[in-house]
Amino acid sequence: MTYRLPVRYAAALGALALLAGCNTPPPASDPEARAEYFETNDPWEPTNRVIHFVNQGFDTLLLRPAAEAYRIFVPPPIRTAIGNVLDNLLLPRSAVYHLMQGNPKLAGENAARFVINTTLGVGGVFDLASDMGINGRFEDFGQNLAVWAGTTNGGPYMVLPLLGPSNLRDTFGRGVDLFTDPFAYILGPELRIARTAISAVDSREQLIEPLDALKASSIDYYAAIRSAYIQQRDRDIRNEGRIQRRFFNWDGEVRLGPQR
Amino acid sequence: MRRRLLVAGLAALPLLVLPLVAAAPLAAATDLAPRAAKFIEARGSDVIAIVNGPGSVEEKREKVAAILRDSVDVRGLAQFVLGRHWRTATEPQRREYLSLFEQVLVRNLSSRFGELTGVTFTVARNQMVSEEEAVVSTVVTRPNNPAVTLDWRVAEVGGKPKIVDVVAEGTSLRITQRSEYGAVVQRSGGMDGLLNAMRQQLAQLEQAAPQR
Repeated sequence: MTYRLPVRYAAALGALALLAGCNTPPPASDPEARAEYFETNDPWEPTNRVIHFVNQGFDTLLLRPAAEAYRIFVPPPIRTAIGNVLDNLLLPRSAVYHLMQGNPKLAGENAARFVINTTLGVGGVFDLASDMGINGRFEDFGQNLAVWAGTTNGGPYMVLPLLGPSNLRDTFGRGVDLFTDPFAYILGPELRIARTAISAVDSREQLIEPLDALKASSIDYYAAIRSAYIQQRDRDIRNEGRIQRRFFNWDGEVRLGPQR
Repeated sequence: MRRRLLVAGLAALPLLVLPLVAAAPLAAATDLAPRAAKFIEARGSDVIAIVNGPGSVEEKREKVAAILRDSVDVRGLAQFVLGRHWRTATEPQRREYLSLFEQVLVRNLSSRFGELTGVTFTVARNQMVSEEEAVVSTVVTRPNNPAVTLDWRVAEVGGKPKIVDVVAEGTSLRITQRSEYGAVVQRSGGMDGLLNAMRQQLAQLEQAAPQR
């Protein structure tokens, strides 16, 4: 009967989430509270907090230890190579998305980068394009939607099971991204799963210190993550984030490119 | 792309017109950015020298706390973070809040002294981001760690440059903290709930202090 456990667990969780319900806007007599309510934009906060709690458990038990093991057991140059290959796979779609956002220059850069690193860089292992001064900038469909809508406001904040912070716009964007990735069609199922798993561990590895620091200094980790997510997405949408570059040395150095 | 150019053009327009209209005040304002850069460089070096110097953690914490009090607009930051709840707080609540806020700030930094070993930083650039605030960008490098960009927002408070915010890789300390504190006030049923949470956090930070 053990196979029924996850089902029961999921059902209990769903019921809990429904019970938690949602926040309603404060009355018009309190305009400041109302302004804050719309700024925070988290009407499903009670449900989100439940999912956040479960995600934290998953992170503590599985994802963070996996990220630490990855850091301890995989030598830095190999991590750099893996990271470069994963990053390279994101470029073709990003190039198309840049075009869709009306940004042919960045589209060209991403496409050129993909061609150079895939051929001369041996399947993306070596980041020769960066040496040539051709930088990449990753895009996702959520960013497309934001640019088309002309606002960085992504609608109500949402915490997705396992996937973490998101909002209405980005959740929809993620759904579209599942179908617009060319490698989802080219790679076999095993490779696709491996890619997803390694991407998750690689991303988490880079976030070990920042998230530990945020957790240690916050009195409400959920609210801190929510605010940080909104700020980071704003920056992604405006293409203001710095470009990361992974280096092949024993420090596993990741350096930031120049600010645009 | 075209829209961004347009926005940039519009943003630049006042810069072109203003000098003609009011040359003197603008000169005073533009002076802040380079001064802020020197200020950040000096204060940053001071803190790193203390942390990597001799002495117990307590002594170092005291010295760093003195620098923080002097270089950070603690009161302004505390008020910004509390937002609309500052006005409805009673006088004793405000006093306790300000005291706790400063202690938490100092403790948060001192709990991370270990991470400051071997740190180097370079001041990348400085610019005015509003009429009153300058941003000084620094790149902080730690051995075996990715470099981090910290942008310091500096404003003139009481005739001296003071830090009003730190932006780490695009995430602003004061905005994140305001969102947190707002959530705690709301969820714990008011100002007293927040003060309680802050006391608890302070106790935890004190317990977790490295024994060296």
